[in-house]
Amino acid sequence: MATRDSLDFKVGVEEEEEEGTPSPSSISPPSSPLSYFDRDRHVAFFEMLYDLMPYHYQSQEINRLTLAFFTVSGLHLLQALDRVDKDRVANWVLSFQAHPRSRAELKNGQFYGFHGSRTSQFPPNENGVSVHNAGHLASTYCALAILKTVGFNLLTIDKESILISMRNLQQPDGSFMPLHVGAETDLRFVYCAAAICFMLEDWSGMDKEKAKDYILSCQSYDGGFGLMPGLESHGGGTYCAVASLRLMGYIEDNLLSKNATSFVVNVPLLLDWCMQRQAIDGGFQGRANKYSDTCYAFWVGAVLKILGGYKLIDKIALRRFLLTCQYEFGGFSKYPRELPDLYHSYYGFTAFSLLEEPGLNPLCAELGMTDLAALDRSKVASLHLHNLWLVQVSYLLTVKENDTKAFVWGKVPITATKASMKSMVVAWYKALTPGVIGLYRICGGDEKKKNIGEHIGSDDDDEQRVMGQPCLVVRGN
Amino acid sequence: MESSEDDGGEPLSRLAEWRDVTPLPQDDGPNPVAPIAYKEEFRETMDYFRAIYKADERSPRALRLTRRAIHLNPGNYTVWHFRRLVLEPLNSDLDEELDFIQRIANSNSKNYQLWHHRRWVVERLGTNVRAKELHLIKSILSLDAKNYHAWSHRQWVLQALGGWEDELDYCQQLLEEDIFNNSAWNQRYFVVTRSPFLGGLTAMRASEVRYTVEAILANPNNECPWRYLRGLYKDDIESLVNNHEISSVCLKPCQEFRDAVVALWTSDSLPLDPDLATAICGILEHVDSMRASYWIWRKNKLPVAA
Repeated sequence: MATRDSLDFKVGVEEEEEEGTPSPSSISPPSSPLSYFDRDRHVAFFEMLYDLMPYHYQSQEINRLTLAFFTVSGLHLLQALDRVDKDRVANWVLSFQAHPRSRAELKNGQFYGFHGSRTSQFPPNENGVSVHNAGHLASTYCALAILKTVGFNLLTIDKESILISMRNLQQPDGSFMPLHVGAETDLRFVYCAAAICFMLEDWSGMDKEKAKDYILSCQSYDGGFGLMPGLESHGGGTYCAVASLRLMGYIEDNLLSKNATSFVVNVPLLLDWCMQRQAIDGGFQGRANKYSDTCYAFWVGAVLKILGGYKLIDKIALRRFLLTCQYEFGGFSKYPRELPDLYHSYYGFTAFSLLEEPGLNPLCAELGMTDLAALDRSKVASLHLHNLWLVQVSYLLTVKENDTKAFVWGKVPITATKASMKSMVVAWYKALTPGVIGLYRICGGDEKKKNIGEHIGSDDDDEQRVMGQPCLVVRGN
Repeated sequence: MESSEDDGGEPLSRLAEWRDVTPLPQDDGPNPVAPIAYKEEFRETMDYFRAIYKADERSPRALRLTRRAIHLNPGNYTVWHFRRLVLEPLNSDLDEELDFIQRIANSNSKNYQLWHHRRWVVERLGTNVRAKELHLIKSILSLDAKNYHAWSHRQWVLQALGGWEDELDYCQQLLEEDIFNNSAWNQRYFVVTRSPFLGGLTAMRASEVRYTVEAILANPNNECPWRYLRGLYKDDIESLVNNHEISSVCLKPCQEFRDAVVALWTSDSLPLDPDLATAICGILEHVDSMRASYWIWRKNKLPVAA
C-alpha cells in the first residue's frame, strides 16, 4: 500500500509525495475553483481534525505534536483560536516533556526536549530511569510553538534542561541531529534549534557561529540552499537557511529595502533564484523545472518576506493558483484539484496570510506561525488605547529590559486609513495579555517621537533602533 | 532468520508466540489534541511493540515485530532505532537487511528514516556494497529522476565509499534523457567540483562551458544550464564577463528577443534605452510580466551610466 510520505516535523521538506493522500472523504473535487478564500470551511475542517484525525494519519503518529501544531496554529491563523481549550492544550503538550532526574544527567548525551508522541515516550522504569527518552528537536519546536500560540508563559518551563542538553545534538560541522540516538542531520534541524533558542530567548543551546558556517556551506551555485552541502537547491532548504540566519541575527530585517548587502549570503543570487520559483501557473515550485505545489508559496514566499522582497512577486497569479488547490469542503491540496491534507492546508493558510487575506492573522515568517503567537506576551502589560496611528505588528524584533520596564518593539507597515488601522489594532490588542500601559508611534526621518498618552523619556538606544522606519512601541511592566 | 513476509496480518493476540507478552496500550493522556482514529491492526501492533521496547527484548521475534510495525508506520523513528538495536546482537545478515529496506522503499522512497537506516547498514558493510548501492540508487532514480532522498544518499555513498569514476557519465546520461532535470545538473556540479578524478572546477571549466553552452542553445528557455554556467564561475565573475564565447551566447538569443520586442514596441512607450542592462530590464518587464515588479526594482538598482 502506498503510504503517504512521513512528515518528520513541521518543516516537512519532503518533496513531491506519493499517491494516497489522506483525506476524510473520497468525494471528488469540484470542477471549478471558488474565487475566494473559504475561511468558514477551513475552520470547520480544522476543528474536525483538532477533535479527531482520520486513520489515514496513523502513519504519522510519531509526529503527533506536529499534527497538533498544524491544527492549533492553523485555527489561530484563521482567527478561530476560540475553538481551542488553551489550558487543556498546554497541559497536554507539557506532558510530552522529557525530564532529567538531576542536572548531571544533562551531560549524558540525551536530549531533554519534547517527545513527538506517546509512541516514543515511556514512563521511567522501577529505578526511575528513563531509558527510552527520545526528545526530538522538531517535536520540541512544535511544542514550544503550540505553547506560545495558546499564550502559555514559556518562562515557567524548564528551559535549562532543553538548552543544555540540546548542545549534545549539534555536530562538529555545525549541523544538528534531531535525536540523541542518531538520525539524519540537515538544515531542517538547524532551523528547529534556532527557532527553539529564539523562542526561549536563550542562545546557549547552540553554537551559532558553527551553525551559520554549516548553513552557508549549503548555498548552491544557483543561489538557493540545499538541505545539506552539495544537494540541489530546494524551497524548504532555502527557508530553513534564511529563517535560521534571520533568527540568529546574521541577516538583518528587510535587507533588500535598505540597500544593505549581506556579507554572509549571496543575496542577489538568492533573490533571483527565489523569484524564478514562481512558475507560469502562478504557483511556486520547490526546485527548478518542477511542478508548482501549494506549500512552496510559504517556503519560498516566506524567504522573500524575510528579505523584504515579497512585494516583488505576482500576488494575483499566486492567489489564482492557490485557489485551484482549495478544496470545496475545506483545506488545501498539494496540487490543483486534488484532495486536501493537513500539511498543505496549513501552508495554504500561511500563504494566504502572507498575501494579507482579510480574516487571517498576520504571519511571523521566520517562525512559521502567527505574529501574535511569536510575540512575547508575558512582557506586555495593560493597554490603553489612545488616538494613534495604528498598524499591524509584523514581528517581534527584540526585547529590551530596562529595570522593571520592558519594551517590545514591532516593525509595522503603514496601512491606508486611520479608521481601518484603529480597528485592526483593537482586534490585535484584544488578543494580547492585558497589561500594556502605553502606545507610541515613532516615525523615522524627520518626525520626532510622538508621545501619545504616556511619557517614556528619551532613550538614545530606542531612537537608534527605529531610525528610518515607523514602528510601534508597546511599553509594559 | 526473518521470514520473508510477516505473519500474514494475523492479529498478534491470536498468535501462540506472543502469548507471554502483555501489550502496552498507548496512554494518550487527558484531553489529547488531534487524536487519531487508529485502525485495530495498527493499534495492536504498536501496543505489542511498546511492550517489547520497554522490556528491551532483543530477540528474533522482536525483529519480526519491528518489520510489521515498519510496514504500518515507516516514519516511526523509534521502531527503526530499536530494529538497529536488535540487529546487532542477533548478528543479522545485513545484506538481507538491504533487501528488506529495498522492499519497503518501493512504496516509501521518500522516507527519511528508511534512508537513514540504509546508510547505517551500508556503513557497516563498507566498500564491498558500493557498486550495489550505486546501482540501487540508479534504479530508484530511473523511476523518479528527481528523488531528493536518493540523490542525498548517492552523494553520501560517493563521499564515504567512492565510486566517482562513472558519475559524470551518469549525469550525462540523465541529461540526455531530460535536459530539464535540475537534479542531474546539480549532480554534475557536485562531480565536477568534488571528484578526485577530475581535477576540480578550474580544470574542468573549459569543457563544462562548452557542454553548457550547447545545452543553452538547444533550449534557451531552460533555467538549469544558465544557472550552471554562472556556477562554473562561482568565485570568478571577471572571467565570466570576459569570456567571448559566453557573451555571444547571452547576446544571441537576446538580440533576437530584442528585435522581436522592438517590432512589437508600441509607439507611445519610451524608446529602448541605449544602456544595455537598463534596456534588458525594460524588455523583461514586458516579456516576463509575472516578474515585472522585480525587473523594475532591478532596473532601479542599476548603477547610473556615466
